[in-house]
Amino acid sequence: MAIAGLAAVPQQSHRPHGWRRWLFATNHKDIGSLYLWFAFCMFLVGGVLALCIRAELFRPGLQFFQPELFNQLTTLHGLIMVFGAIMPAFTGLANWMLPLMIGAPDMAFARMNNWSFWLLPPAMALLLLSFVVPGGAAAAGWTLYAPLSVQLGMGMDLTIFAIHILGISSIMGAINIVVTIINLRAPGMGMMKMPMFAWASLITAYLIIAVMPVLAGAVTMVLTDRHFGTHFFNAAGGGDPILYQHVFWFFGHPEVYIMALPAFGIVSQVIPTFARKPLFGYTSMVYATSSIGVLSFMVWAHHMFVTGMPATAQLFFMYATMLIAVPTGVKVFNWIATMWEGSMSFETPMLFAIGFILLFTIGGLSGVTLSVAAVDVQLHGSYYVVAHFHYVLVAGALFSLFSAVYYWFPKMTGKMYSERLGRLHFWWSLLWFNVTFFPMHFLGLAGMPRRIPDYALQFTQFNQIASVGAFMFGLGQLIFLVNILYSLRHGKTAAQQPWEGGNTLEWRLPTPAPYHSFSEAPQLDVAENGVVVAMQGGKHG
Amino acid sequence: MASGMQAANLTLLRRLLLLVLLMFGFAWGLVPLYRVICEVTGLNRVVVADAMPGRDAAQVAARPVVLQLDAMVQPGLPWQVRPLQSRLQVKTGQFIQLQYELRNNSRQQVVGQAIPRYLPAEAAAYVKKLECFCLRQQLFQPGETRRFPVVLVIDRALPAAIDSITLSYSVFDVPQGEARP
Repeated sequence: MAIAGLAAVPQQSHRPHGWRRWLFATNHKDIGSLYLWFAFCMFLVGGVLALCIRAELFRPGLQFFQPELFNQLTTLHGLIMVFGAIMPAFTGLANWMLPLMIGAPDMAFARMNNWSFWLLPPAMALLLLSFVVPGGAAAAGWTLYAPLSVQLGMGMDLTIFAIHILGISSIMGAINIVVTIINLRAPGMGMMKMPMFAWASLITAYLIIAVMPVLAGAVTMVLTDRHFGTHFFNAAGGGDPILYQHVFWFFGHPEVYIMALPAFGIVSQVIPTFARKPLFGYTSMVYATSSIGVLSFMVWAHHMFVTGMPATAQLFFMYATMLIAVPTGVKVFNWIATMWEGSMSFETPMLFAIGFILLFTIGGLSGVTLSVAAVDVQLHGSYYVVAHFHYVLVAGALFSLFSAVYYWFPKMTGKMYSERLGRLHFWWSLLWFNVTFFPMHFLGLAGMPRRIPDYALQFTQFNQIASVGAFMFGLGQLIFLVNILYSLRHGKTAAQQPWEGGNTLEWRLPTPAPYHSFSEAPQLDVAENGVVVAMQGGKHG
Repeated sequence: MASGMQAANLTLLRRLLLLVLLMFGFAWGLVPLYRVICEVTGLNRVVVADAMPGRDAAQVAARPVVLQLDAMVQPGLPWQVRPLQSRLQVKTGQFIQLQYELRNNSRQQVVGQAIPRYLPAEAAAYVKKLECFCLRQQLFQPGETRRFPVVLVIDRALPAAIDSITLSYSVFDVPQGEARP
C-alpha cells in the first residue's frame, strides 16, 4: 500500500536558481506554481476574448468584429478557458497540495511532471498563433463540430495539433496524480481516509486518462478528413457529421466532470475547516464522487437531443442525466450538513466555498432543466445553455479555485493574503458574476441563439446588462492579482496553522512548506477526510 | 525497498498507458459501432421505395399542388445535376413522370448516390416515389451523361396546408470500396 522507504528520491537539498529552476523543474511545488501562474495568465487571455465578445454584444448590429472573427473569439475563449485555464489550474493545485496532504515526498514521476507542464505553453502558443494565419483561428465553437471543422482554414490544423499536445500533457499529469495517490501515501493514510481533494483528484485523473484519448481520436479523424482523403464526417463521401458529435461528447461529458470534481474536492476541504466540524458523510461523498465519474460516461447524447435520435434513446439519456443529480445532491446536502451547527467563520476561502455551493446549485438545477429532452429541444443552442454552463464553470470551477488559492496561499508562500482585498474580491465577483450571467437565462428562454455577433432588438437590454457585468467582473479579477502580488512581498508572516479548523496533513508542515517536504514519510493516524489524529516522524530537507 | 517502489510505480504507469491506448482505440471503434447501430435501428435509412397510397386515400378528392424540382451538389464533387422541368402543376393522386439529367464531369468512373429532400419536410411522407434513380447507386463512365425518369404519386391525404412541394436531390460520391451499383 503506502510507502516508507524513500531513498529513491534524491536527497538533494540544493535548489536550482534562475531560469533553470523553472525550465528543468522537477519539484512538485515549483511545477505546481508554474501551472497556477500559467493557468492565471490563460484565464486573463481567455477573459479578454470574453470581453471582446461582450463588447460586440453590447449593442445589436456589428460594432467591432465581423462575424468570422467573432466566431473565432467564441471558439478560442472556450478552448483557452477549458484547456488552458481550468484544467491546468486544477492539475497545478493537485501538484502543489497532493504530496503535502497524503505525506508523499513529491509526485511519482518528477521528470514526466516537468514535461506535462512544459507542453502547455507551446500548445497555447499554437492556439493563439492561429489568429494570424490565413483564414484565422478555428471558428467552429469549442466543440469543433464537423462539417465546419472539416472545412475551415489552416487555423483548424493548428488547433488540432494544439489539442493533441494538450491531451498528451493532461494525460501525463493525470497518470502522475494516479500513481502518486495509489502508491505514495504515507503509512496510515488509507484510501477511505484520505482527503476528499485527493479522492476528487484521483477520480478526475482517471476520467482524463479515459477520455482525452477519445478527443485525440476525434480530432485525428477530423485531420485525416481534411488532408488524407478519409470521409469519417463528410456526408459527401458516405461519412456522417453526427458521428463526430457522438465521439466528441463521449469525451465532452466526462470533461464537464473533469472540471467539476476537483472543485467538489476543494470545497470538501474548505467547508469543514471553517465550520470547525468534520465533513458530514465522508463515505457517501467518496461514493457520490465515484458514481458521478461512472455515470458521466453514460449521458453524452443529452448534448444531442436535436440530432434526430429515436425517442427511446432520448428517454434513456434524459433519465440517466437526471440520475446524476442524485449523487450531486448528496454532495450539496453533505456540505450544508457540515455547516449545520458548525462554528463558522467567513474568511475569504469560506466565502468562495459558500458562493460555490449556492451558484453551482443554480447551475446544476438549470442543468436538470436542460436534461428534459422536450425542454432541451426548445433551449438547445440558446443563451440558456450559456448561462447554465457559466454557472457551473465560473461560479463552480473558478470560484473553487479562488477558494483553494486563498486557503492554501499561507502554506504555499508563508505569507497571509490581504483579507480585506480577498473579501472585496469575493463580493465583487459574486455580484458581477450574477449581473453577467443571470440575464442570459432570460435571453435564452426568449430565444436568443448562442455564438452570434448580432441579435434581434428585443434582446438589447439584457445583453447590455450582461456586458456591463462582464467588464466589471473582469476588472474585479485584477483585485485578486493585486492581492497576490502585494501579499507575496508585503503580506504578514503566516502561522503554521493559519486556520483554526485546518487539521489535514498539510497544516502539520512548517509554513511556508519546505522545498523538500516529507523526504521521510511520517507514521500517521488519520481520521476520515485526511484529518490527522497523530503524526510521528516525517523529515523534510 | 526503494526499487520495489519504483517498480510498483512503473507497473501502474504501464497499466495506465495501456488504458490510454485502449481508449484511443475505442474512439476509432465507435466508427464501425455507429454504422452497425444505424443499420440495425434503421436510423440512417433515407431512401426506401414507397408503397402505393392506401385505399382510403382515394376517398379524398384530388387537388392541385405545385411541384418544384431542384438539385444540389456538394462543392468538390464531379456531378452536374438538373431537372428537365423546374416547376410542374400537378394533382394529388396523379401519376407524375419527370426527368433528371446527371452528368459525370470527371475523367474517372464514379458511383453516385442521390438523396431526396423535401420542403416542407412533412411532405416527405406523402410523396411516393415508384421509380427513382435515387433508389440505388448509379455507375457513371468518365464524362457520361444520363437521363433518369422519376415516377411519383402525391398521396391525396396530403395536409391541406401544403399547396407547394419542393423536391431536391443531392448527389453524393460513393467511395470505391463501398460501391454496390
